Amino acid sequence: MKPEPDRLDVRVTSEMDVVEARQKARLLALRHGFGTVRAHGIATAVSELGMNLVLHTARGGLIHLTAQGEAGAAVVEVVAEDEGPGIPDIALAMQDGYSTRGGLGCGLPGTRRLMDEFAITSEVGRGTRIVCAMRRP
Amino acid sequence: MHSIGQIILDNRGAVLDAWLERLPGGAAGARPATFQLLKIELGMLVDKLVAYFNAGDHDLGGPLFKPVEDQAATISAACARDGLTPLETATLIMSLKTITRDLLDREVGGDRDGMRIGVDAVVDRLALVTFAAFVETREDIIQRQGRALLDMATPALPIWRHIILMPLVGIIDTQRARQVMEWLLEALAREEAHIAILDVTGVPLIDSRVALHLTKTVEAARLLGSQVIVTGISPDAAQTLVKLDVDLSSMITRGTLQVGLAEAFRLLAQRNQGMSGSPF
Repeated sequence: MKPEPDRLDVRVTSEMDVVEARQKARLLALRHGFGTVRAHGIATAVSELGMNLVLHTARGGLIHLTAQGEAGAAVVEVVAEDEGPGIPDIALAMQDGYSTRGGLGCGLPGTRRLMDEFAITSEVGRGTRIVCAMRRP
Repeated sequence: MHSIGQIILDNRGAVLDAWLERLPGGAAGARPATFQLLKIELGMLVDKLVAYFNAGDHDLGGPLFKPVEDQAATISAACARDGLTPLETATLIMSLKTITRDLLDREVGGDRDGMRIGVDAVVDRLALVTFAAFVETREDIIQRQGRALLDMATPALPIWRHIILMPLVGIIDTQRARQVMEWLLEALAREEAHIAILDVTGVPLIDSRVALHLTKTVEAARLLGSQVIVTGISPDAAQTLVKLDVDLSSMITRGTLQVGLAEAFRLLAQRNQGMSGSPF
């Protein structure tokens, strides 16, 4: 029998929420047998996605964290969604060094490199949804 | 026929005793200091209530009610500081309803001329004021603690001639990052330091935002003619930063504070060597 997935949601509107979200993500990963490096990676990805919610949307957004799996393999999924302005050019946003807010421009591309799976959908005026996941080898 | 103000005044002692009885945990359960303080403050609230009732103009938004509200806010703030919960504080204020009800039953045999409605409206209003004041006090305490923590967490220590050390501990948010840069530059100028060691051993996570602030701080220090050595990036963080592809090549980084300090001495010696032969 498959164990129930471990789920939690964090509403992110301020930097302190980002801190809470990434701490929870890290603990979730460690609880599911991830090593410290990968748990740190997941926490960093949550931090990047969370800061995007804070910096690019007026009302913030939600970060859903799910961990699922048995002894053999586990996966932590991070979903960040908002009803913000949306990203007009996703290809551009995924480019290294591109930033609209004076950042380093490695948040989204870096997150893609950190995680094993990464998908982004965005609609201008409707919002953005990013789904990414890391597997425990 | 007595007015409500007069009835309360005539029974001031009894009202106050009944009120103190209703402190969380009872009069005996409260801490002595809290009890003494609340005894005085609640007494003043009773007096101000009497003054308000006796003035005749029963307008809750008016200037006559203001002193009553202020007194309730004072009590609430004291409760918040003493660690009472909002529920306990509001319950304490609301218990005045029961007390006056008992008092009216005893003195005039029940409600007269809408006295009770008048008192209830006043107490309801006070409960709201109390709650607002309670939240405000807590917010104030939290904010001050936050500032204290911020001040405490970022010392710039002159550890050698021309070398300062800034150990960063805790979460670096935008405000803190800005402050770290400001203080580091200030300390560099104040101590006439050539080298600053920024130790991030105590920083749990370095994302691209923190990395950006670190880079900016190093760059600003360079403009002052100083060098910054960043030490204490954890192996976990190092692997993550490489994947993020954050460019930290502009900074001197060393694994531990110890090695960083050795590097600082080396850089200092290099500087002094360059100086030899010059009149300085």
